[in-house]
Amino acid sequence: MYYRRESLNFAPNFKKMKDIYYKVAGHVFALCTDGQESVVCDLRQYEPFVTEPTEQLIFRLRISDEKPLMVGFQEEVNQEDEGQSIVAGTLAGHPCFEFWLGKVRSALLVVADDYRDCVVYVEANRMFGINNALMVLYALSTADKQTALFHSSVVSYEGKAYMFLGRSGTGKSTHSGLWLKYIEGTQLVNDDNPVVRVEDGKVTVYGSPWSGKTPCYRNVSYPVGAIVRLSQAPHNEIRRLKGVAAYAALVPSISGKRWDKHQAEGLHETENLLAQYARVFHLDCLPDEDAARVCFGAVVE
Amino acid sequence: MKIKKGFVLRDVCGEKVIVGESVETINFSQLISLNSTAAWLWCTAEEQGDFTVDSLVDALCKEYAVDQEKAHADVARIVEKWLEIGVVTA
Repeated sequence: MYYRRESLNFAPNFKKMKDIYYKVAGHVFALCTDGQESVVCDLRQYEPFVTEPTEQLIFRLRISDEKPLMVGFQEEVNQEDEGQSIVAGTLAGHPCFEFWLGKVRSALLVVADDYRDCVVYVEANRMFGINNALMVLYALSTADKQTALFHSSVVSYEGKAYMFLGRSGTGKSTHSGLWLKYIEGTQLVNDDNPVVRVEDGKVTVYGSPWSGKTPCYRNVSYPVGAIVRLSQAPHNEIRRLKGVAAYAALVPSISGKRWDKHQAEGLHETENLLAQYARVFHLDCLPDEDAARVCFGAVVE
Repeated sequence: MKIKKGFVLRDVCGEKVIVGESVETINFSQLISLNSTAAWLWCTAEEQGDFTVDSLVDALCKEYAVDQEKAHADVARIVEKWLEIGVVTA
């Protein structure tokens, strides 16, 4: 009787505990819902990226409904952007990240040393917390793999991709929209968080499950035709950037924990390769048709 | 003087550049390009830890055949620039 009771108690839970594997830009990670009925979430944006189980993981993230203990929390950096903030710090010696939406803490991510058992404690706005936790882990675990998670809007045209960078509110999505409207044959690849890899001197951009406010979760990849940094201006004018200027244009648009030495080394290596191998431009622009034409004329070979 | 914690010298496309890479320098978004003399002085300042214009001039004159007076003027100008940008503390 005793054994039977135990198996009744544990077997169903064990069954529910399931890892789902996703491959983004060739790197596989696993998401585990902890077997809790309450931790059901809408993972539709991740579906195009589902892949076969493998041992070769960049990280494994478990979603938990438990209340995290904040004992020993030390804040390091607080970055705010458009009402969303990420507070980075340590919790009992482990790197951790809080994700805030306005004044509400959405989730807390605790990073394991080898990325094998990371946990995100979700509290409110569940998908906001999970998406952010996955993006942070993705950036951390691939920083030394010549991979960069960008803040960018990306379009494709005749087999190549064109990436638009700029501070929040500059008009990256708007500029993509102008290409889609006025340049026939253009398609949206990703509107907010694409992944770029440098392999054998070739630069490739990949769609991802993260795309900001635009639901554009495409599992596609293209060679990068150009990377264009945008600034608002009363005119449309484009110029090529090379060397240090190209590097400086890329760095602010790549996510990472730059105050960590190992992370900084990896990011620098990738950024340096990108500055050498990618064609980088700066576009002063208005939000008009001419802006798309001027840009198109200069960047498409 | 001392180099502020978190500023490191990096090789960017064959050029020497100072970048901020620490919690303290997180909001420092500039890149500072250094010519070969300035880069050499930066490395020497790093090695010395606590340095002065004179200590850098001494090191420079020991390593290269340069005129002491000219060296002093060059080093003073470069160090003043570092102080002004805020990558070095007095």
